[in-house]
Amino acid sequence: MDFEVDPQTEAQWVEEFEAAARRPLEQRIRYAFIHTYKPVLDDAPFRAFDTMEEYRKWCEDNLPDWLGYGRV
Amino acid sequence: MAGFDYKQAEEIRDAFERHQIQYLFIGKSGAILLGYPDTTQDADVFVDKSSVNCERIEGALRELGFDLTEGQVQDLRRGKDFIQLKNGPFDLDLVFAPDGIERFEDAWQRRVDVQGFHVCSIDDIVESKRATNRQKDRESLPRLLKFREWLKKPH
Repeated sequence: MDFEVDPQTEAQWVEEFEAAARRPLEQRIRYAFIHTYKPVLDDAPFRAFDTMEEYRKWCEDNLPDWLGYGRV
Repeated sequence: MAGFDYKQAEEIRDAFERHQIQYLFIGKSGAILLGYPDTTQDADVFVDKSSVNCERIEGALRELGFDLTEGQVQDLRRGKDFIQLKNGPFDLDLVFAPDGIERFEDAWQRRVDVQGFHVCSIDDIVESKRATNRQKDRESLPRLLKFREWLKKPH
């Protein structure tokens, strides 16, 4: 996979990494875990898959494309 | 449901320790523990698929407040590759065979411990995301790669 990112964006990311490193872990976790409803995915209390392939296939067959779970 | 919080992360860590479960935080939640600033909604834990580990996990999950049926317990014991739990106080994904990582033992050797949390190395997290090759991972990978580069520099 080739990625091209402009230097300005990369510099912004580094600023974000440095800012995060100054925060205690507890705060980092508070900022990071945000619950947002994901259709279908969040609609069952428990799912189990024998293989990762089975899980990936289930995601592709059942989840809306815009969630981004489809393989490229 | 509210977002996953630090206290719950500690509860996972402590319950898994008490039950002697071999685990590693992986995925974006693992990266966040390593310092990566981003958002996610659930915790992803790579669990060793050994039968003894799978036996132990039921007790830890019940202690954490997950409401498991007998059928679900059987799934845990049977050694599935992936289990998604949304029947507890927070969302938890148990990954027993993450893409891009051959063996738990190898990932364990490469792990990073952050305040008692066992976390996959940034290399394993990146390789797992890369191997999964989902659209959402592909979009987030450049920033994660930059984080890896930054993390490996002396600070």
